[in-house]
Amino acid sequence: MDLRVPSGLFFLLTGIIVTLMGILFPGTTAPLAETNVNLYSGLSMVLFGTILLALARRASLSGRPQGRRG
Amino acid sequence: MTLHAVDYVILALYFGFVLGIGWYLKRTVSTSADFLTSGHSVPLWITSLAFVAANLGAQELIGMSASGAKYGIMTAHFYWLGAIPAMVFMGVFMMPFYFGSRARSVPEYLKLRFDEKTRGFNAFAFAVMTVFSSGISMYALGLLLELVLGWSFTASVLLSAAIVLAYTLAGGLTSAIYNEVLQFFLIVMGFAPLAWLSVSRAGGWSGIAHRLPAVMTSAWGHMGHATDNPMGVELFSMAAGLGFVLSFGYWCTNFLVVQRAMAARGMAEGRLTPLIGAFPKMLLPFVVILPGIAAVALSRMGVGYTLPRKGAGYDYDQVLTTLMAQFYPSGLLGVGLTGLMASFMSGMAGNVTAFNTVWTYDIYQGYIRKHAPDAHYLKVGRITTVVGVLLSIGCAYLATLYNNIMDLLQLVFGFVNAPLFATFLLGMFWKRSTANGAFFGLLSGTVAAAATHGLTVAEGKGGWIAPLATYPSTMAQNFWIAIWAFAVCFLVTVAISLVTRRKPVEELKGLVWGVTPIPREGNVPWYERPVLLAVTVLVCCAFLNWAFR
Repeated sequence: MDLRVPSGLFFLLTGIIVTLMGILFPGTTAPLAETNVNLYSGLSMVLFGTILLALARRASLSGRPQGRRG
Repeated sequence: MTLHAVDYVILALYFGFVLGIGWYLKRTVSTSADFLTSGHSVPLWITSLAFVAANLGAQELIGMSASGAKYGIMTAHFYWLGAIPAMVFMGVFMMPFYFGSRARSVPEYLKLRFDEKTRGFNAFAFAVMTVFSSGISMYALGLLLELVLGWSFTASVLLSAAIVLAYTLAGGLTSAIYNEVLQFFLIVMGFAPLAWLSVSRAGGWSGIAHRLPAVMTSAWGHMGHATDNPMGVELFSMAAGLGFVLSFGYWCTNFLVVQRAMAARGMAEGRLTPLIGAFPKMLLPFVVILPGIAAVALSRMGVGYTLPRKGAGYDYDQVLTTLMAQFYPSGLLGVGLTGLMASFMSGMAGNVTAFNTVWTYDIYQGYIRKHAPDAHYLKVGRITTVVGVLLSIGCAYLATLYNNIMDLLQLVFGFVNAPLFATFLLGMFWKRSTANGAFFGLLSGTVAAAATHGLTVAEGKGGWIAPLATYPSTMAQNFWIAIWAFAVCFLVTVAISLVTRRKPVEELKGLVWGVTPIPREGNVPWYERPVLLAVTVLVCCAFLNWAFR
């Protein structure tokens, strides 16, 4: 298993959830936060997850053996 | 702190993923070696991150921001003076012997290099220590969730234990390692925003430095005398106690982390593991320590945040969670909370997988049943995993004495680890050291550690033999315990080795400097050459030390 796949997937999903919170409920804030924290952090997670998945896809396309067989 | 549905959804998603990864990896386990040591099959990038992540447990995350709030940027010494040099030494000098010996564990190396009694001493001590570490991890989790969310201590301890048990039982060490890497990503993604938000709200580093006494924002400037800084340590005890003995003792001989490096696919990758891991490790202070320092600055800005109190003093262990409540809306709050759970679980799983290997191979196979078929040891490994988790739960109920978890851990490590590093140094680099020298050296070192604790008092702790001296802090006391333990072990080992017989040189191949072939760094890129990589790491680390002097 290429660990980048489940990791990337996890952050993609979590990032989407948090970004949606930022878009649909922009009023959800914390006392000292001055920006739409959910939106920005959510997008960073989506980006991170996408990068991991892209790296995994590139490795599998080039046929490089990766991870524990299984 | 109130959680909403979205936060629970994220937590549930995470639980699903770690269990899924464990379940998927079940198919890779068919021998005891697969289950307990991953059979040297884990890719380099994973072993490197796992090497760092196994150590990034509850104590690190909560403890570092707590220490940041209590001691300031001097806390970074644990990384930039302690961990990094130790990891470099480990990769360059010690991994060749761990691989060359073909040992499956640290105690097994001691058996091959010295003898059974040395192995036994280390194996039993390690087994106890690792169960305690796991228990402390759970205790911290339970306490935190009870205080912050009102969850029952017992319920959170049992829930996290059940999940860790499930995925380690299914996929063994590989499952623990893979999940540790996921947990590492989650901890960074979950807490980097907090560091960013809290520091920028406090006015950036210059704003923080402006608001706090100079000692809080200078790592090296106030170490002339123990009374100059809140840690209560001066340069020598910091450099020798933390920088040398404790850090090298931990990163070079603690099977919890060594096991991750040993899971690499060969000596070359084994050596690179701690070196590559050193890069993210170097940057972790920005994620885990800075929020604590920012919290102190924020508490002086009149923005509605105050440091959590405990009796007449502060409850530093609450700094991280109270900051989360201030900066994280529901959504990211769920991620932060999940990151916290992840840190506890990686610490716990790491200790349990190290425990089950040492128990099964060193203690059970070593002393109880030596020549059973491999399937038997696989079964024993699985049973030990369950027992290990149960024992950790028991220990969780015992850890209630210190308000800063780090101090307790340093004490425990000081007793067990400090003498051990002297043993390894002499074992790996001095052909003349003998089994009797090693064993009695270890014994004396441990006794010396206990004696130092019993003869000195710090913050009301210790001095149970006779209070001969007082230290300004328990941290200073821990550093001196380590220094004495190391020195006594070293001297006793040398003295006894000189008058006892050593193993013939042929039996030392692969185990000691001088009779172990270390592969030449051939035509590989610079980032795959251990020595060059090591120098790069040290230069970067020196820069960080200078930048925050």
